[in-house]
Amino acid sequence: MTTRRKWTAIPGFLALAAAATVVSAYSGASSSQYNSPEQPVKFPHPRHAGAVNAKDPSKGGLGMNCVYCHYASNKGLDPGMPAVSSCMGCHTVVLGKADSSKREIAKLTAYWNKKLPVPWVRIHKVPDYVNFPHMRHTNVGVTCQTCHGQIQNQWQVAQAASLNMGWCINCHVNGYKPAEGHRLAGAPDSVVRAAEKLPVHKARYDCSSCHY
Amino acid sequence: MSTDLGSAPSGSHGVKRRDFLKVVGATGAATTLVGCTSEKVGRLIPYVVQPDQTVPSVSNYFATVVREGSEAAGVLAEVREGRVIKVEGNPQHPGNRGAVNARQLAAVQGLYNPDRYRAPLKREGGKLVATTWADALGILSRQLGTARSQGAAGRAVFINQAELGSFPAFLDQWLAAFGMPAHVAYDADAQLATVAANRAAYNAAWPRLDFTAARLVVSFSGDFLDHYGNQVPQQLDWADARAKLEGAPRAIYVGPRRSLTGLNADEWIPVRPGTELAVAQLLRGQLPAAAAAEQTGVAQAVLERLAQEVTAAGNGLLAVAGCGMPNARELGDAVAALNQAAGAVGRTIRPDQAHPAPARVASFGEVRALVERMNAGQVPLVMVRHANPAFSSPAALGFADAFKKVPFKVSFSSVPDETSELCDLVLPDHHALESWGDAEAGPGQIALQQPAMDPVFDTRQTADALIALARADQTTAARFADRDYRAYLMARTPGGAATWTANLPKGVIAGSVQQGAAAAAPVARPAAAPAIPAQPANGEMFLVVYPHALIGGDGRGANKPWLQELPDPVSKVCWQSWVEIHPQTAKRMGVERGDELEVRTAQGSFKAPAFIYMGVRPDTVAIALGQGHPGYGRYAKGIGSNAYAVLGTAEDAAGGLVLTAGTARVSKTGNSMDLVSTEGSARQHGRGIGQAVLVGELGGLREATGAENAAVAPQGGSGDVQGTAREVTGPSATGGAAGGAAGGAAAKAAGDHGAAGGEHGAAAGGHGEAPAGGGHGGEGAVEIPGEPSKAFLPGLRSPVANDAQGNYGDPTSKDKGMYDPNHPSGAAKRRWAMTVDLARCTGCSACVTACYSENNLPTVGAPWQGRALAPGAWDTRPGANVVKGREMSWIRLERYYEGALNAENEFQPDFDTRFVPMMCQHCGNAPCEPVCPVYATYHSPDGLNVQVYNRCVGTRYCSNNCPYKVRYFNWFGYGEPDRRQYAWPEPMNWALNPDVTVRGKGVMEKCTFCVQRIREVEHVAKLQNRELNPDEFTTACAQACPSRAIQFGDAADPQWTVAQLANDRRAYHVFEQLNVFTAVVYLKKVSHPAPGSAPATA
Repeated sequence: MTTRRKWTAIPGFLALAAAATVVSAYSGASSSQYNSPEQPVKFPHPRHAGAVNAKDPSKGGLGMNCVYCHYASNKGLDPGMPAVSSCMGCHTVVLGKADSSKREIAKLTAYWNKKLPVPWVRIHKVPDYVNFPHMRHTNVGVTCQTCHGQIQNQWQVAQAASLNMGWCINCHVNGYKPAEGHRLAGAPDSVVRAAEKLPVHKARYDCSSCHY
Repeated sequence: MSTDLGSAPSGSHGVKRRDFLKVVGATGAATTLVGCTSEKVGRLIPYVVQPDQTVPSVSNYFATVVREGSEAAGVLAEVREGRVIKVEGNPQHPGNRGAVNARQLAAVQGLYNPDRYRAPLKREGGKLVATTWADALGILSRQLGTARSQGAAGRAVFINQAELGSFPAFLDQWLAAFGMPAHVAYDADAQLATVAANRAAYNAAWPRLDFTAARLVVSFSGDFLDHYGNQVPQQLDWADARAKLEGAPRAIYVGPRRSLTGLNADEWIPVRPGTELAVAQLLRGQLPAAAAAEQTGVAQAVLERLAQEVTAAGNGLLAVAGCGMPNARELGDAVAALNQAAGAVGRTIRPDQAHPAPARVASFGEVRALVERMNAGQVPLVMVRHANPAFSSPAALGFADAFKKVPFKVSFSSVPDETSELCDLVLPDHHALESWGDAEAGPGQIALQQPAMDPVFDTRQTADALIALARADQTTAARFADRDYRAYLMARTPGGAATWTANLPKGVIAGSVQQGAAAAAPVARPAAAPAIPAQPANGEMFLVVYPHALIGGDGRGANKPWLQELPDPVSKVCWQSWVEIHPQTAKRMGVERGDELEVRTAQGSFKAPAFIYMGVRPDTVAIALGQGHPGYGRYAKGIGSNAYAVLGTAEDAAGGLVLTAGTARVSKTGNSMDLVSTEGSARQHGRGIGQAVLVGELGGLREATGAENAAVAPQGGSGDVQGTAREVTGPSATGGAAGGAAGGAAAKAAGDHGAAGGEHGAAAGGHGEAPAGGGHGGEGAVEIPGEPSKAFLPGLRSPVANDAQGNYGDPTSKDKGMYDPNHPSGAAKRRWAMTVDLARCTGCSACVTACYSENNLPTVGAPWQGRALAPGAWDTRPGANVVKGREMSWIRLERYYEGALNAENEFQPDFDTRFVPMMCQHCGNAPCEPVCPVYATYHSPDGLNVQVYNRCVGTRYCSNNCPYKVRYFNWFGYGEPDRRQYAWPEPMNWALNPDVTVRGKGVMEKCTFCVQRIREVEHVAKLQNRELNPDEFTTACAQACPSRAIQFGDAADPQWTVAQLANDRRAYHVFEQLNVFTAVVYLKKVSHPAPGSAPATA
């Protein structure tokens, strides 16, 4: 290397190092936050779980409880997906009004008639080395929307939180504020204000709580 | 590219090096961008129809029965989302009572064996090819029809395993309907002589051996802790009896080889093979002591003392007779007479509480007669189910050759074995865990067998296939009204299906099974079995052949990797066969450990490496029966040597095959190999790992006081853990040497610690009176920054090392975070601990297999798991990884001898054996925790030494530091499906426990105190809004143990059993002097020396 060109070497390496650092920040531990994949059947949460429109019930949702379908969320480590039979409980007779609804329900019925499960695209996943106990969180009063966002208003579900370990530990250490949880759930102000009186719930965060 | 290439002309010399590096660097950086996406898209697959009672991630438990041998063990099958993942003992079953042994645990590996038959097969072009059930049943139907029309049905043969329950009777009904004779109930492991003698004397095949009522147990080669009779209930009773300590019976083992039962006995009388009868006759007064001494080769004084002990025991005598020797029937009769004369029947021998036994078992004579008929071409059709006579009979019998002569052979076996591979049609049966059935459980009780999951493969329960055949045939259809076996069973139960359904959760009902055909007329044996010569001829030695304790004498466990990997309890050898030879003889012959020996009889030869063992007579060698399969799947084929090659076909008087028939020529072959053994050293070298105390000295031991093992005292009410410790200077320091911080805190226990505060205080007060002497760190309690904090958590005296607490270990910090017992999570309120009672532990190793099952432990000894020797070349010796010390068992049974230090030069039968289950001790001051560079191991607030697999980078410093060597490294990708060494070929991976991470390559693992069970039960309690109940759950090892030797629980809560046991007078820690403050407490074994003798050691 001649003296003339020495000056390019060091900045060159530094640039490469900077690029590698920036890039690595986006690799491996990347988050799937905001990920919103298309599902095999366009299941509309707002129609099912959305709030009931008292004035005009045909607009608005049915106000179904999340646990009606995600039945194991307060019973087991795994919240579970509803079986196709749960859907068909209504949709053998509910065939849809608009063309789009009719199409999607027909897709669902096709799966049922072929005795095949609907291959939903998974959105929320923690790595296999994490033993996340879903029912503990549901049962202590954490509202679904605290972690999952306002799914009742999402026509296509997106992952609202990063689900990274730092995000989990944050809440465990700082504590879950019921008022905040109710606000995220879209509860009326009066409910949120009442919830402010409830104590903040802190939880254990040592490694063996989840990693074993 | 830039212009600073200088004077070199561009473009004409190809790519310059600098340009190349620049391009590579830039594109390299760019590709990382492209390559980074979030995790691959996964799917969430729901059920189509929701099954009943199935909640994802919640286990269901089905009470059923597994059949590993002729027994039927009452178990609970743990089922997760439709798959069996584990087998546990059924607490309601009168035999198992919640315990389970290694063979029963390994049933899961039979269910998911990758070599299992997946569909019916028929022979076409010399090979077995898959077919449909319709086709296969059609073929069999036609064969049955042909046999009937030719009038040959009366000569057809059905060989079934000897089993409990209604099926044998049902089978005979079915056979009768087709004009065929009753089946041959084949059991290579049948202890016919013992059963015959017991039936004659007590009217029960296996009376309950009530050790708790005994004062003296004398076993004449009766291995009641190995594999003889009903091992689990016998071991339960034995351990309960030995746990009575002062009131425990003394045990004496009379036999040529010290089996596991012999090692558990307090004394071994090493008689020549076959001369156990002489000792029994001496005890009955029928043989003078001098003559007995002459025959047995044991000193007369020893026999006379035995006779005195037996007389002194009176009706507290419990004598047990084994079999395998030529005079086994006579021995059984003599021993039964001994019991009767002593008045022991009804006291220690309980025929009224007899264990179940199959109603009918074929004698060896029946099998021999069958072979003769097959050879003569008289058998047109043979059907075999769960019996493997082509392997499990003496080669001299020639079963396989005779079998091949039968024109049509059918197998109902689930797995390919030596017999089924010769067959023309295979109709694979369901595994026991997929079947309906019943089995005697105890007097007047039946165990119910139900499928725990849908069939894994396209198999059918044999009974159902037989019913289908019968109903399709006009001549037999009328007799088979029930459409399947389940309906058949329920129709014959009082109350029918309703009773079944109501009692399935319990798994046991009152009742009796169908009684079948009477036993076949006994086949006269051609000649009495020749007696074993009094002395071996020149150059020969006595040969003792015994059934392998884990694999079984019939070899049926050989295709289960857990059983292959489990070291034999006596020799600690796995994945291999061995020849046991005495050190004195080995020295004389110039044989070293691992030298290959050939054992040759008139019938054949057996070659295996030598295992030098003090527990065999110097003029005797011993070999195990069951290994050496030429087939039977990837885990059995070619492993070890086949001892059936050296057996003759002599029978004892009850028609049982004689195993220990005489002598053999033993010679070195000149080869030498590594013995695949997990044994480090057979001696403790004074390390005090397995300690014992003489029964007479028990009274001198005193209970641990609060100062030594503060199982009760939580921290003082201030909640300032550090503060409490600092205040300790007063009482304990003046109280003398010991205790230190522990004593102080105990004495102070003001505890407003939860609901049990008052009890804590009272109990602590009771204990804390006099701080014990004995050097438990007597210095005062001044905290030195950087030293392990003496402010230990509630529970066993065990400071949590400063480093392990991370920032919370800062002595100047007031914030203990989760390590503060008053933290809202309550994590630090618990102190998980374990006690292991060496007086109870027999060394059976059920705990080891339970841990494998629960914690997804990989087996590493299969031939394809060895390391690469060169590109494309691998070490394919079975057990190669075990030879390098890489077995993964989180809990292992260590076996140490005490005494007989000069065995190389003289025969010293007087040695004591210590079995020590060793697992991670969860040290409070763990040497492994501070040295992890990535904080992958640390001490949790509730007292566990935690291993976080995803942080571990594989430094292995922690394992280096562990004084107990209980940390295990994944040298290979045992847990990674695309690697060669993957330990769970499909569908074996269906048995993996979803609650436990499957570790990948490069990760350290160790016993976790079943943390997944701890968390599970904490979840359940929280959901029910309550605290844990005392003894609410336990670890897998403790749950399985038929000796109930292991207790686990919260040592901080005095209501838990472990908290009380940790303060037992016999309690000690292994390597206590290292100050690692283990959470595992051992209770000393209690030795029962001969009365009036003064043994050198405990």
